Amino acid sequence: MPDIIGRVVATELKPSTPHQFYFWTARQSAVGIGAIVRVEGDDRVVWGVVTDAFAYSDLVTPLHDVIGADGDPARTGLAPSERPEIRLWQAAVLRQQPEEPLQPVPLGQVHLATDADVVAALRMDAFTTGDAPTGVPVGVYTAAGLEAPVFLDADFLLGPEAAHLNITGVSGLATKTSAVEFLLSSIFQKFPAHKGSVAAVCFNVKGPDLCFLDQPAELAEADRRLYARLDLAPRPFDDVTVYAPYKADGVNLNTLRTNEALAARTEPLVWGLREVLDYAEVLLNKDDIDAKADAFIDFLAERVVGREFEDRQLRDRPFLVNTFADLEEFFRAIFDYVEALGRAEVWRTHHIATIRKVRNRLGNISTRAKGLVTDDGAASDLPWGRFRDRSTLVVDVAGVDPLAQDLVFARVVSKLREHLERRDLGVDHVVVFVDELNKYAPGDGPDTYVRKMLLDLSERGRYLGLVLFSAQQFRSQVQRRVVGNAGTAVYGRMDSDELSMPAYSTLSPAVKSKLAALPKGELMLRHPHFTQPIFVRFPRPAVLSGRDGVERFPPEPDLPFADAVARQLKALDRSVARDAVAELVHGRREEDVRRAVHATRRARPDNAFAYFKAQLGAWVEREAPAPRRGLSPVKGGSDPYA
Amino acid sequence: MGAEQPWPGTVAFLDGTQWWEPVASAGVSPVVVADIAAAARERAGRTFRTAAVRRERVVVARPEALAAAGAAIEGWETIALPVDEPPHPVGDLFLARAAVERRRSQLEREVGRAYRAGSDGWLVVDGSLTGSPDWAGDRRMVGVIKSHASLPFAGEALEAYLRLPHRTRSSVFQPASRARAPVHSWALRLWPWEGKDLLYGLVRVEVAPTDDPTGRADEISRWLLAERAPVSTPDARWDRLLYGIHDVERFLRSER
Repeated sequence: MPDIIGRVVATELKPSTPHQFYFWTARQSAVGIGAIVRVEGDDRVVWGVVTDAFAYSDLVTPLHDVIGADGDPARTGLAPSERPEIRLWQAAVLRQQPEEPLQPVPLGQVHLATDADVVAALRMDAFTTGDAPTGVPVGVYTAAGLEAPVFLDADFLLGPEAAHLNITGVSGLATKTSAVEFLLSSIFQKFPAHKGSVAAVCFNVKGPDLCFLDQPAELAEADRRLYARLDLAPRPFDDVTVYAPYKADGVNLNTLRTNEALAARTEPLVWGLREVLDYAEVLLNKDDIDAKADAFIDFLAERVVGREFEDRQLRDRPFLVNTFADLEEFFRAIFDYVEALGRAEVWRTHHIATIRKVRNRLGNISTRAKGLVTDDGAASDLPWGRFRDRSTLVVDVAGVDPLAQDLVFARVVSKLREHLERRDLGVDHVVVFVDELNKYAPGDGPDTYVRKMLLDLSERGRYLGLVLFSAQQFRSQVQRRVVGNAGTAVYGRMDSDELSMPAYSTLSPAVKSKLAALPKGELMLRHPHFTQPIFVRFPRPAVLSGRDGVERFPPEPDLPFADAVARQLKALDRSVARDAVAELVHGRREEDVRRAVHATRRARPDNAFAYFKAQLGAWVEREAPAPRRGLSPVKGGSDPYA
Repeated sequence: MGAEQPWPGTVAFLDGTQWWEPVASAGVSPVVVADIAAAARERAGRTFRTAAVRRERVVVARPEALAAAGAAIEGWETIALPVDEPPHPVGDLFLARAAVERRRSQLEREVGRAYRAGSDGWLVVDGSLTGSPDWAGDRRMVGVIKSHASLPFAGEALEAYLRLPHRTRSSVFQPASRARAPVHSWALRLWPWEGKDLLYGLVRVEVAPTDDPTGRADEISRWLLAERAPVSTPDARWDRLLYGIHDVERFLRSER
């Protein structure tokens, strides 16, 4: 029986239990930390994963080695006999057959796992076979030359049984981003048809990380072999749209994906007052949160914004508030009215201080997120209700103000939730990928709207098909319930300080040691079907990394206003001529031009230039008013002052 | 004598163990159960492998007790105690122990023969070669005796024998008391005894007689000095117990 690699041993101090056992092997054995083994004995088969290792000889004390070498370290290797050395392994039980009665691991022979053993040990037979399999490849288990595919159960990854995935690891190796990209690709290729449709919304919060998901990468032969082993096609995402706010000029996109070759799948993300006001709570800090501010915001949202509001005390004609400029005019009228009354401090039961606070906060966002928030009231938004199966929407907020990032998170996730509740998003499941969870859902610090939203998503999203894939450097410093609700936990290379936190106390020192030195492309995985963490290797994602993407598709430099307008129109219609656009916008107010560009982008007409020109309207020459002629003084008469 | 040298070529170590225990009484005479084993472990490279092994579980008792045991000891080897004397609980126990030790020696000789049948490597035995004419005449066997219950000299010669300095040997002599099978013998000090008792680190070596006893004694002494490491701790006799013999004992005990 050549495949026997060891034998289970048990002593009073190190007994076999139903959850743990020890076995020894030859020194040359291929067993290592994380290896899966099979034990057979007493009509029982047990699968276990190696969690720790020990080696020792019959040397009782180091002093005896000194004596044997006559105190000369150079002689220690010259002894004619070598002390016997044991390789003793500690393993945690993954599965037993029969499952009942649950008994200690028998003192049987130990074998290295085969492909079939990996399937059985990880209980993958329950969801990778049958009429409706739900396995999603996540990587390969590699040990002793074996490359066995490992699957996650879609029911436990995207709901409804469990959901969410959290990945943690040190920054700089690109492992977290790569793992999510690979897994999303795997989900898109293998998510079973009977479970419906799926899309992904990825928030890009760092540089160009997720900006080139539609561009193919060059893969090494080893990566291609892994793809083949997992029965996956090494290809980039088919249906990708990157959404990014404008910069403050309102025409240059605030993203590193501005290369002209990629312009067709890069859309502006622009919101108006209506979109912002619905999520105004995001803008309020902890000190601001009170019933009064809420009440006034509600008043604005329900009575003022987007409809005619009449108050004869403020002015004779009604207000029509659609833009931040309209809103400012409305606030100004209130303040003028209150000031005119002298000592009055209340308008319509709202204290003037509350009104000022809300005005300041709303004004603040229009300033700090100038490229995200437009003043013309027209939005360029994600395609709510028209999400496509297997589509990826990247929301690039890497370059925007943190406050605006919070607003984007809050609104996008809330809208996803609303649409999924109504079942009118266009897809049945949405994976939301958020990196830097340490920043957005910290374990301590203020209880922000975004943190509450992520918590709500992690606790209730799976019932809706709204799934959170999150990543961070320090899992121990993330809100515990957010990571605790993740059914699947993934660990890349870890910082040793992080591993010393109590949250990792269940891991053996050897597993921690392996995690601290984990090479790129390897992960440790927890999944509801796996009773112990498993190490897997995954191939490099078949998409261009952010760094390579920026090299291959260098971002366009920020263009002068007219050129930026021309570029946007050219993205819609290649026939648009730069000079014609420049001539058309010359002398026009920039806000008018922006409004026309946004309207053209929304309409996507066949003839973009003509449409843009129509939206811009006819040029009206500015007329300088003629100086008024004053009255001539009356000459003569009896005027004593003349 | 020269500096220590590694043993050239293949070498094996041979030893035996016995474990015995009275488990019952037939009248006043004890019934003893014993586990007896012997093995030769050959060193290949720097590690040991079992080259030959014999193991027996025996019941030792007076013939009438063995007969009375009947089916209870079916499948066991048996050794019948002599019936010259009337049964005695202490005297019979001594006889049983002696019978077990004889059986162990017999097993050791069987193992030695078995090893020698398949190999012409050196064979180092724990104890004297003189119990077996075959061993005593085998030019590639070495007996290493740790105990010094009987000493070969008296007077000044004995003092010189027992005060051997570290890494030196005595002159070669032919022990007179074991005339059954003549051998050449000498004492070798493996570890310095100063500050300890005179027997510390002192072994007596036996080999088959040769034409060049001095040269052979020097040669084998150099090889044995090299066997001091690794030390065979935690055995209390580690100053005289070669690691190869220690390895055989441990192997036999682990198998019990």
